[in-house]
Amino acid sequence: MSTPAVNFSEREFVIVQVSRLLEAKCIYWVGGGGEPLASVLLAKRTRVPELQYLTEDGVVAPEALVPFDPLMTMVASRANYRALQWGTMNYAADIAHLGYVDYGILNTLQVDRYGNINSTVVGKYEGGEGRRFGGPGGADSIAALAWRTILITDQHKRKFVEKVDFISSPGFVDGPGARQKRGLAAGGGPWRVYSPWAMFGYGQDCQLMLQAVAPYVTVDQVLDEMSFKPKMAKKIAPLEPPTEEELLILRTQIDVGGQVTDRGRWIELKDGKYRFAE
Amino acid sequence: MLIREEGKGEYFKVDPDGFRAFVRENKPRATVSKLMSEREAVEKFVRDGDYLAYDCNYFQRGPSSLMREVIRQRKKRLWVCGKFTYVACALLVEAGCADRVDIGFIGFGPWISRAVREGRCKFFEYSNAIMTLRLKAGAMGVPFLPARSFGATSGFEYSGCKLVTDPYTDQPILLVPALNPDVSLIHVHQADEYGNARVFGTGIAHQECALASKRVILSTEEIISTDEIRRDPGRNSIPHFVVDAVVHAPFGAYPGTVQGYYASDPEGIIEAMGAMFRGDFRDYLQKHVYSIGSHAECLEKLVGAQKLADVRRRETIREGYGI
Repeated sequence: MSTPAVNFSEREFVIVQVSRLLEAKCIYWVGGGGEPLASVLLAKRTRVPELQYLTEDGVVAPEALVPFDPLMTMVASRANYRALQWGTMNYAADIAHLGYVDYGILNTLQVDRYGNINSTVVGKYEGGEGRRFGGPGGADSIAALAWRTILITDQHKRKFVEKVDFISSPGFVDGPGARQKRGLAAGGGPWRVYSPWAMFGYGQDCQLMLQAVAPYVTVDQVLDEMSFKPKMAKKIAPLEPPTEEELLILRTQIDVGGQVTDRGRWIELKDGKYRFAE
Repeated sequence: MLIREEGKGEYFKVDPDGFRAFVRENKPRATVSKLMSEREAVEKFVRDGDYLAYDCNYFQRGPSSLMREVIRQRKKRLWVCGKFTYVACALLVEAGCADRVDIGFIGFGPWISRAVREGRCKFFEYSNAIMTLRLKAGAMGVPFLPARSFGATSGFEYSGCKLVTDPYTDQPILLVPALNPDVSLIHVHQADEYGNARVFGTGIAHQECALASKRVILSTEEIISTDEIRRDPGRNSIPHFVVDAVVHAPFGAYPGTVQGYYASDPEGIIEAMGAMFRGDFRDYLQKHVYSIGSHAECLEKLVGAQKLADVRRRETIREGYGI
């Protein structure tokens, strides 16, 4: 029972893609809310009920009761329901320092060639000239301490930039070996970047590589929405569309109010092809 | 130890011996009642120019009623520990109470850049877990702790952290300066009148915050007896001798949630977030702080019994919350 969906939003598409990566044998540290948490909750309700994740408030492997009230994704009873343990932020960081966190899942405002994450300022930092955002929050710990990081962002020129305006949370900084020179543990770093249009990975040179595109866009369209040319995989694979079953759970159980998914463009299946709805 | 690089951010003075001396002279060891009103607690223990920390935030088991009291008393020049925060820092800065913020995460909007451009506030960059680690160092009475994160960020340059060579492994390692706030505000589920306290569910750094701070103001949903405290010592995370004031504040986290006790008020949350995104807190502060004399009055006049019953009713989960 898996029916390719006929209608979905860009956000729904990206949440489904990330949810399909997640496995029972791993531990995930998930950024507080948004698409990262929706991906985890979707995976738990579709393929992997035993999926284990942490959030910044030190909750260990909860069985969250969705939906949540607005912003109530941490230090809240529904988000933290039936956990294995209730800890604190330093405890979450300890677990990650020890190497138990296989994957971090994060949103980012901007990402660059080396997978560095900006959630602090777009434009100039000094003097209050740039457009200011909230700072790294827990993302610096996640990006530094998880073995692999999965990033989610939108496909826009201003989001995929050669060099982020401010490294709030680290990718590979400026190339192989740079993380360790800055005091980070060996190993670790970005592994995948997902946008609603494409999936990217990283090669040995620590540089972003386009690996797959969504069925409603071409490779050229993706490249047009980047400020730099990424490395290209030998073969660019297609990303599989969501299924009706996945969307039903996402819409009726996880993001009932559309807080996370009700953004971006709408995609439809018409005459056997996916395309942006008029 | 070889210092490889240092952030250029100003950081709150690291002085573990000064802290010990303060504890020796000033902290009450005897079991004396510390029950007082929020007005008295803030008058006594929050001074202009203090470094102020709070646990959690204005929306999630945070000391929201105490924060409003700090603003009501128009405290000045506070330096604030801005971790895990949606609107608390915006409120404190825009109300003219704070002029320095260490950032882990703060709710953003036009207010930040404007405060920088107008020279009203300086921001220093950390991350949430780096700030809680700084509090942990403060809570251990040591001058610093190492971490294997944050060294690879731009924020490092605007922080008080240092990158050194670890004398044991010879590898680069980040050091964070201990943080011993002058005062911290912590909202808990239960406390006795002396300050022995319990938090149920997850937290950000309530124990670290309580131990690291020179002065600690607790607000608590419930006052329970010391006999009750002694019945289940494993649930107690804050001992009375670190606490200076105990304020009985039912719904003290309003408009936020206290896990197991009451849900958040989405309307109240959207009102505060809306003010932040617009970058204009004047109406919000007038309505919720300046025109109100106390937390009790806030609940009675502004929130109302109907809404309080509603947030209690909507908090359906009880397991693990001691009820």
